[in-house]
Amino acid sequence: MLSYFSNPQRFDQLARALIPVFGVLAVLLLAVGVWLALLGSPPDYQQGETIRIMYVHVPAAYMAMALYAALAVASFVYFVWRHALADTAAEIIAPIGAVFTVLALFTGSLWGKPMWGTWWEWDARMTSVLVLLLVYLGYMALRAALEDTQQAARTGAVLAMAGIVNLVIVKFSVDWWSSLHQPASIIRLDGPTIHASQLWPLLVMILAYTCFAGWLVLYRLRSQAIRRRVRTLQRQREQAARAREEVVS
Amino acid sequence: MSAFGAIFSREAGLAWAGGGGPAGPAAFFLGAITLAPLAIGPAADLLVAVGPGIMGFAALLSVLQSADRLFGDDHADGTAELYLLSGLSLPWLVLAKVMGQALATLWPLPVIGLLGAMMYGVPVLPACVGALALLAAIPALSLIAGFAGALAAGVRRSGLLIALIATPMMVPVLIFAAGAGRSALAGDERALANLLLTVAVSLGTTALAPFGIVAALRSRLG
Repeated sequence: MLSYFSNPQRFDQLARALIPVFGVLAVLLLAVGVWLALLGSPPDYQQGETIRIMYVHVPAAYMAMALYAALAVASFVYFVWRHALADTAAEIIAPIGAVFTVLALFTGSLWGKPMWGTWWEWDARMTSVLVLLLVYLGYMALRAALEDTQQAARTGAVLAMAGIVNLVIVKFSVDWWSSLHQPASIIRLDGPTIHASQLWPLLVMILAYTCFAGWLVLYRLRSQAIRRRVRTLQRQREQAARAREEVVS
Repeated sequence: MSAFGAIFSREAGLAWAGGGGPAGPAAFFLGAITLAPLAIGPAADLLVAVGPGIMGFAALLSVLQSADRLFGDDHADGTAELYLLSGLSLPWLVLAKVMGQALATLWPLPVIGLLGAMMYGVPVLPACVGALALLAAIPALSLIAGFAGALAAGVRRSGLLIALIATPMMVPVLIFAAGAGRSALAGDERALANLLLTVAVSLGTTALAPFGIVAALRSRLG
């Protein structure tokens, strides 16, 4: 299947079909999710209206981690099978993931002030998400520092795969170190512990964010592929022109 | 094993003779722990409380100080290519290299950590636990620094890049190593657990990092 989609033309067809689907889904789900989150769900019995920050914060944090996982998987695919498309995917996922990480940190900070009385606390979950941002930045800095594109691709893949260690730390930090941040309440063996009236808006928002991120990734992947194609065509045309000049002279 | 012994002693000799040996990291470590009280104020009880943490933190930074030399020099003069062509087992080879350099340059860190903690007013026993934790952390720290150094080998101003790549990966070691000293200071029973966890992270890194370093070197040489 991997080699099937590594054909740029097939990928282009697939992306062209999927981009509008993801785009429309993202808009619809965001509309429904925002309505549910802001108006259609009751305020929390303890946290009051501030619970609504959760509906933007949790999906952002989830995307920050999911995109890093996607980055690592894309890097693995590139590292093993050398598909250029996987590398391009890794390259464009990194900044998107970094932005979601910033969003998670920012909304978490806004939520922390009314709930815990502090904008920032050096607890395990918050600090490890900040570290995740550093990992994203390190990955981008390494790619930017290496001028040879193939070296940047391979070296970046090695780093992205090693960085997966941090993802494990982020995920389990709330279980390993008891801290201000609440433990996992949705993905649990014994089922979610949050009430259905809050679970539904949250799930819709998570789906909306996922579709939005999928749309962004595919869109940027396709434009990057087109850019590459243009560059190759330009180079071919220049070479052809040079060859013609040589024949004339 | 003699080839790896030769690489180990070459690396140790190079680091000792060519790169100033232990002077660089030691001086950095000393400078950092001298400046910290000037920055946070000389209140005695504050310094005792932050002592073990500052020692772990400053030791971590001083490991980064020599990280660009290990694979950067080999990348620049072509030795790295020869290693890849040599037919030796590469993970063992890079392990010997990193450990050779670590032995030559980082041995003063636990000593300075012990003395520094006592200068901050930490009692002898917690200071010793902290120094032991630093000793246990050195393999993990130097291998992670080596991994970042291999990724960034040959890049201009690689020091900045190495710091950005390596620090996130050093987080667990720092937590456990500094935690051992802090728990010992607080007198709770988690000191031994933290110390053992530091050893565990170091052993795990020793098992895994050489493969990462080899992959990084290969990717940089194409």
